[in-house]
Amino acid sequence: MEGMSYLTVGYLGMILGIAIWTWTVFARSKHLEARISAIETSMGKEYIESDSIALQSTINEEN
Amino acid sequence: MGERIRASFLGVGFVGIMSTLYLGLMWAPSVAIDAFESPAAQRIFYWHVPSAWAAFIAFAVLFVGSALWFFKRSPTGWRLHVAGAEAGLATGLMTVWSGTIWGSAEWGTPWDWSDVRLNTFGLLTLIALFLVLGRRSQPDGIETRDTFSAFGLFGFVLVPFTYIATRFWVIRHPGPVVATGNDGSLQSDMALVLFIGAISFTIFIIGHILTSMHITKLEQRVEMLQSEIDKGG
Repeated sequence: MEGMSYLTVGYLGMILGIAIWTWTVFARSKHLEARISAIETSMGKEYIESDSIALQSTINEEN
Repeated sequence: MGERIRASFLGVGFVGIMSTLYLGLMWAPSVAIDAFESPAAQRIFYWHVPSAWAAFIAFAVLFVGSALWFFKRSPTGWRLHVAGAEAGLATGLMTVWSGTIWGSAEWGTPWDWSDVRLNTFGLLTLIALFLVLGRRSQPDGIETRDTFSAFGLFGFVLVPFTYIATRFWVIRHPGPVVATGNDGSLQSDMALVLFIGAISFTIFIIGHILTSMHITKLEQRVEMLQSEIDKGG
């Protein structure tokens, strides 16, 4: 392959990598927000403290 | 932090990265034709170096997050750990990908197992891969977080090791061209494109780290809600 062909493959790989990474992150975020909204609506809850593992760890250390 | 701020970081970073691509391809001067086997492929350097820089930022975030969880039991620390591992994996793979493409063009081989820097950076990326896949395959818990945080702490040792490797064990990977104390090592137009690339990747990685931390918070909220449902409440 010529130098420009290598450069093209390299650039396309990087653009594709950045695009897939960013798309995945946004899709995950939207999916989770929709899921939380649906669960909270069905439970009639507004907000719940999120990190139960950190809370449990703090309780363990206090006891 | 608000969605608009996260999206702004990602958007500005993305535009900067694309500008770096364009400038590196169309504006930056070509290297001397006799200095490289493949002068055209050398232009991948404008993405390779900034993505490696972004990877080091991500691994630093991973280290800080791991330490905050391990020693302080900080929920923010755990979110930083997760975000650092994911960003480290993505930017690490970009660096390895661009490096192997350039290596194929310049050296005739994508990887040189005798080169210390390639191997330590490859190992660092593999640690990030282990942390990302491990977290997704294991149930969340104190012991799991402690184990992964310990890997995040010890893995960071490879960062300064990788940094000094090109200074002391120059085998095949080119030595550093910035912060060398030698002003003449990089032509000014090349340095400008490289600088724009480094700034753009830094902004982009900050956007990704903030978004990833937000996602981890959402995942934890889903788990909390799920346990509430399981308890019948």
